[in-house]
Amino acid sequence: MQDKQFGDYIITVDNINKTFSNGVVALSDFTTHIRRSEVVVVIGPSGSGKSTFLRCLNGLEDIDSGAIVVDGIPLDDNRKNRLEIRKEVGMVFQQFNLFPHMTVRDNINLAQQLVRKKTRADATEMTMDLLKKVNITEKADAFPAQLSGGQQQRVAIARALAMMPKVMLFDEATSALDPEMIGEVLEVMKTLAREGMTMVVVTHEMGFAREVSDWVIFMEAGKIVEGGTAEHFFSNPQEERTRVFLNQILT
Amino acid sequence: MNSLSQKKRKTIRFFHIHSTFIDILKYLAVIFAMVWLISSGTQKLGYNWQWYRVPKYIYTFKDGRLGAGPLIHGLMVTFQVSGISLLLSFAIGLIAALFRLSDSLAARLLARCYLETIRNTPLMVQLFFIYFVLGPVLDIDRFLSAVLALSIFEGAYASEIFRAGIISIQKGQWEAAYSLGLSPVDTYRRIILPQAIRRILPPLTSQGISLIKDSALVSIIAVYDLTMQGQVIISETFLTFELWFTIAAIYLAITVTLSVLVNFLEDHLRVLG
Repeated sequence: MQDKQFGDYIITVDNINKTFSNGVVALSDFTTHIRRSEVVVVIGPSGSGKSTFLRCLNGLEDIDSGAIVVDGIPLDDNRKNRLEIRKEVGMVFQQFNLFPHMTVRDNINLAQQLVRKKTRADATEMTMDLLKKVNITEKADAFPAQLSGGQQQRVAIARALAMMPKVMLFDEATSALDPEMIGEVLEVMKTLAREGMTMVVVTHEMGFAREVSDWVIFMEAGKIVEGGTAEHFFSNPQEERTRVFLNQILT
Repeated sequence: MNSLSQKKRKTIRFFHIHSTFIDILKYLAVIFAMVWLISSGTQKLGYNWQWYRVPKYIYTFKDGRLGAGPLIHGLMVTFQVSGISLLLSFAIGLIAALFRLSDSLAARLLARCYLETIRNTPLMVQLFFIYFVLGPVLDIDRFLSAVLALSIFEGAYASEIFRAGIISIQKGQWEAAYSLGLSPVDTYRRIILPQAIRRILPPLTSQGISLIKDSALVSIIAVYDLTMQGQVIISETFLTFELWFTIAAIYLAITVTLSVLVNFLEDHLRVLG
């Protein structure tokens, strides 16, 4: 992973602030730059703002101040810009959020047809390829409720990939899964990372962070406490708080 | 030990059968009491039942051909008024619900005013207002006035049902649709409403049944629906009880049919997902 070639900066986040209406400060003067094909893992205690950071990247949460630019497009109030970013940034949720009234195939076809304006046949072709990629071809006609959690999450990943996004966001994608299903989802995520997808991953899976991340960010109270390569991060953390957190989570 | 428990079980079974038997007896007793009450009541009234005169108001038999009597003509009008109003009221209800949930303050305010005004005034007053005040201004006839009043009235209730259904859909569904780049219209059309409709089918059915029954009120502006036809016949024949019972039975038949149809639809939708 070390000799991976990175491109230019695809996401720049500069001095963003976000305070929720209940007064909780989620992000405070947060800055980070992410390069093309980079896999960034965000870790931190709960309530540290890592999910909020992720949700700001595609505009699911609005920022109070600062600037976010994704692939040259500023994420602002301009609807067209926002739509462009939503198309280019895929997201995978903790609770999968598949559409329960549609088959797996239709879940993955939907945005291709409605947003990318593909024909049903074209969309289905890509859907079947993606289902092969996430190892679940036999479930194309099943409804989400008929799938296990791991299968649902793999379908959710396929659904996001169907938009051919330039960036993929993973918001605790394995946290709601039974332990025996975490592996199959992580495997898909690792494959994506190896293929050069730009990924921002909020997770508690330290094994994943160590194995595939190019950069690890440790957050607390809406700020970056420490950032570094996985090697540096797990073997030689500089900050006391990082050490305490890693001790807690790794033992 | 064993014999005791067996005895116990027998006793339980005896009581079980016994209680079912008692239930049936109670039920029959209630029915009997009601029949007795009505028959003795009408006897005391000295009411002269003349059911044989009713059929000719339902159907006619002229020159060897079966024709519709005034009650069936009225029923057709009731169908027309209720059918059109049902569609219109759901459309109005959906639009009002979307307004209530929109980002625009003006839209929210408008929907709120509509809801509170309509829900807090009697349907009869609204009927009179539309027919006598708006009617001449907009040049609409009594049938259209009736449909408009019913649609607007029931639409207010339907809007609350739609709103409840829409906000019952998990936030994650909106977020998934958003992150896939779906437009708000597509999100509603393909993701939110299909799920919401399944959930609100039972209260929406109740609303539809209410509408059919409320449609009887249009007789006050002399729309010749089922109720109005009945009133006309009664005023000519004094067959008060016979006709009101007949009319009630016809309304019951329509609404029960609707309930059964929707139940069937519900089961079908549940299988789908």
